[in-house]
Amino acid sequence: MSKYKAVIGLEMHCELKSNSKVFSSGRNSYNETPNDNIAAVDMAFPGTLPVVNKKCVRDALMMSMVLNCKQPEYMYFDRKNYYYPDLPKGYQITQMDAPVGIDGHIEIECNGKRIPIDIHDIHLEEDAASLDHYYDTSCIDYNRAGVPLLELVTEPCLHSAEEAVAFLEHMRSAYKYCDVSEADTKKGQIRCDVNVSIMEPDATEFGTRVEIKNINSFGNVYDAINYEIKRQSELKMQGRYDEVEQETRRFDEESGTTIRMRSKVDAIDYKYFVDPNLPKFKIDKKWLEEIKKEIPLLALERKDKYMQELDLSDYDAGVIVKEREYAEYFEECLDLGIDAKTASNWLTTQILGEINREEVNLKDFYLTPVLLKQIIDEIKNGTISSKQAKEIFYKAVEEKKEPKSFISSDMAQISNKEELEKVIISILEENQSQVEAYKNGKDNLFDYFVGQVMKNTRGKANPVVTKEILKEKLDK
Amino acid sequence: MDKTIEELHEMLKNGSVSSQELVNEAIKKSHEIQEKYNAFVTILDDAKETKVTDNLLSGIPFGIKDNYSTKDILSTGSSNTLKDYVPFYTATAVQNLLDAGAIPVNKTVLDEFGMGGTGTTGHTGIVKNPWDSTRMTAGSSAGSACAVAAGVYPYALGSDTGDSIRKPAAFCGIVGYKPTYGMISRYGLFPFASSLDHCGVLTRSVADAAIVTDTMKGIDEHDMTSWDSSDIHLYESLNREVKGKKLCYIKELCDIESYENPTDELKLHLENFKKSLEICSSLGIEIEAVSVDKKLLDALPSVYVAISCAEATSNMSNLTGIIFGPRGEGKNVMEMMMDHRTKGFSPLIKRRFVIGSYILQKENQERYFKNAQRVRRLLVDTWKKLFETYDAVILPVGSGPAKHLDGSKDILTKDTAALEEHLQIGNFGGFPSITIPSGFINKLPVALNITGNCYDDANILNIAYAMESKMPYKNQIAKEVNHE
Amino acid sequence: MSKFTSELVDDLAAKLLIGLSHEENEMVLDEFAIIDENLSKVEDFENIKNIEPMTHCLDDFTFTLREDVASESIPIDEALKNCGKTEGREVEVPKVVGGEN
Repeated sequence: MSKYKAVIGLEMHCELKSNSKVFSSGRNSYNETPNDNIAAVDMAFPGTLPVVNKKCVRDALMMSMVLNCKQPEYMYFDRKNYYYPDLPKGYQITQMDAPVGIDGHIEIECNGKRIPIDIHDIHLEEDAASLDHYYDTSCIDYNRAGVPLLELVTEPCLHSAEEAVAFLEHMRSAYKYCDVSEADTKKGQIRCDVNVSIMEPDATEFGTRVEIKNINSFGNVYDAINYEIKRQSELKMQGRYDEVEQETRRFDEESGTTIRMRSKVDAIDYKYFVDPNLPKFKIDKKWLEEIKKEIPLLALERKDKYMQELDLSDYDAGVIVKEREYAEYFEECLDLGIDAKTASNWLTTQILGEINREEVNLKDFYLTPVLLKQIIDEIKNGTISSKQAKEIFYKAVEEKKEPKSFISSDMAQISNKEELEKVIISILEENQSQVEAYKNGKDNLFDYFVGQVMKNTRGKANPVVTKEILKEKLDK
Repeated sequence: MDKTIEELHEMLKNGSVSSQELVNEAIKKSHEIQEKYNAFVTILDDAKETKVTDNLLSGIPFGIKDNYSTKDILSTGSSNTLKDYVPFYTATAVQNLLDAGAIPVNKTVLDEFGMGGTGTTGHTGIVKNPWDSTRMTAGSSAGSACAVAAGVYPYALGSDTGDSIRKPAAFCGIVGYKPTYGMISRYGLFPFASSLDHCGVLTRSVADAAIVTDTMKGIDEHDMTSWDSSDIHLYESLNREVKGKKLCYIKELCDIESYENPTDELKLHLENFKKSLEICSSLGIEIEAVSVDKKLLDALPSVYVAISCAEATSNMSNLTGIIFGPRGEGKNVMEMMMDHRTKGFSPLIKRRFVIGSYILQKENQERYFKNAQRVRRLLVDTWKKLFETYDAVILPVGSGPAKHLDGSKDILTKDTAALEEHLQIGNFGGFPSITIPSGFINKLPVALNITGNCYDDANILNIAYAMESKMPYKNQIAKEVNHE
Repeated sequence: MSKFTSELVDDLAAKLLIGLSHEENEMVLDEFAIIDENLSKVEDFENIKNIEPMTHCLDDFTFTLREDVASESIPIDEALKNCGKTEGREVEVPKVVGGEN
């Protein structure tokens, strides 16, 4: 590890979920067919004008509140001017002057420790078109042009690749909990820019800041940061720190290295100015309050709650809150009256095991909490053993049939105390010498007796009742 | 076609003329005017009659400035960058007229994308003044002003970013009106400077301007800056009841003493203006002279150039020849875009882009762009203050009649007077503003302008309507003057 | 503040993807000199810095935000009918290398 302190800032772009685009009524959905989600504005036909989508503003404001940012009194947009073939208008509509949120702060968890993160701002903007590259041509698909993006900018307050990825995971989870984005990196819905500098641990001034643009997976963010820390540290140790330039680089996945794009001197002046086509919008305080009420409990808050109020372990609580749908499944179980620990055990072992194996979404999982309850109730009633319960679980999932249909009377546990007592008395009589040994202190023989009862009843004896009777008889 | 809309409607209703006859006449006249003055980019020879309804505009031909998007009709903005562009959608303002049964018969020449005030920078060449073909029409709605003045039809659409409707209307002896910003949707108007761009109309009478605007206007879901004006009925509001109204004029602009070496034309022009004020008085309108900080007036032209150029350079960044417009040549895509833009734009526009771009640079924004926006507010506030006391500000348009074509260079010079540029205040504040003819100097028309407070369009039009009735210039058709 | 020079004019023009002739370049300098002179006077206006820049035409717009309803896509033949070069349903350009954003 480097002997220097790394200072890292992140810019995270996340596509929002909506029916239509942020400034046009073109569809906002993934579409294999090129140029099939387009409104006239998306291709910048002369005379077309942008019109702001209310849902996108609402979602952006919600995330602004999640990040504990300040919201502006008036919301408006700026033009970021530059020429590129994927930018039909020649400018991107974004927010520079009055973003939906500024000066925020949140707490995240990294390696079991809580760390504070400062948020510079969060703003609403539009995505560019996508380019498909061929041998000597590129083709432009405008489906993505105008798709709503939220860009979140942190202060340079992170100090390792682990922290950076923990923050990104935290935010990905928050977007999903708030249901404003699918936040799927595989679909390119999240893209990141990272800036990295290093400094002596006791220094007060930041080192030279290098920006790595357009990283499309958290794994690559991790690798890019570590590579950059290593590169800068090596140069510093060799006394060549002046070779670290304030510049923009990109991450090359194949080599795992960063490659220079342009230096600060060549930085583009985007000539931002307020877009006169989009009037200043006064954000109604009442609307803000309504949105605030709709913010769900997020992962970390839920985890705390599960640990404190439901006495779940750190590990189990952590697993359950990892995805919104896990937590929702869990809470549905609680609502049905299933005991928290039981629900947690089933969810974190059988259910997550199954959905991971089958690569399905928990939302689409056949065994809903209601069906799960059928199994759990039967265990509680003593009708089935936990071993049988697991078998029923897999059968139900596999055949997509209600668990009930697999619970037969034949399977029923023997819980009848009198019946069991008879069996136990005869077993104790047949094993006189072991009873003697047990009474003389060989405690571990207790399990032997339980085993004998099970053997005798072909596993149908209710273990709890069995143990009760055995104790009673043996300790007499 | 030398009639007013009301007259034509009456004739269509009583059967003394048919819609197709009007269309045929307008097309025939278009070709004559094209030959003489070069007013059109496109003449729609296959334009068809429409059913005559109770709507005053039904069955009557009109012209459209070529910076309005018209479905399946060439729409060039008078620029080589769009010389073959055929849109697939129609501007809201035009659609509203089509829905009323109005019949477009041509698309008119403008200064390229409206960025110019001479009528000389369109890609199809210079537009000449129908009163004197050695003179300019002024611009940018040059072809529309020329055609309406020459009697091709009773009205044509214009757009106005600085004075682009109201100045050519003045120099062509007709009426030019731009309503309050956002009363007419800008959706489908090729932008020049979005915070200053207004749609509007050129006609030969105030009533016609009211009739056409009543149909063009309305809130539009495609334009966030448009607003609901359904309770405003301009034509119905015309009643000439103006007694007790109060107007003011700016002393610094209208007193001949303010000018060091006034030309004869300027003297005559200001005398003409004084006569117009007398007409106001005869109508029972009170007139007062007011003073405005000279520093503000002097800053006006540069403030306009700064804001309009800055917005224009961004607005026209979509013109790259990639999705529409002729493809440029080049090894790579950036070279292609550059070739398209270098060849496509006229020198005037290119220069303005560079200025706009400089003004928007990060290190210059405060000094140029933001200060210009601040002075814009000072000017608007000054005028709003006047509107607390007065119904409107009345001023002469320009410093005389139309300029000669050979002497014209559309360059901002140091002696560009506030008198020439004051109409821009109407764009700064989004004020309703109408120009009406007020007489002749050397047989060439001159005009006055009335500008009032936002949303007070009906009042402004009514004052103009009353004044028009006391002057003999209503519905006049241009007659070429003989000159040496 | 960078000085407005002939080189700067060419640089600005290049960034706007337009070429200027020598004459055009000189005219820009002349025109800008006037604007510069006029706007530098503005800096002396009393309290100018305290005035809110006027970014929009009206200060009292009444409008509502658009409801999140998607409309049908533009038919592809209309979207591409003015395009100089297409490939299938897409706009074709020479291969774009490097990246911007």
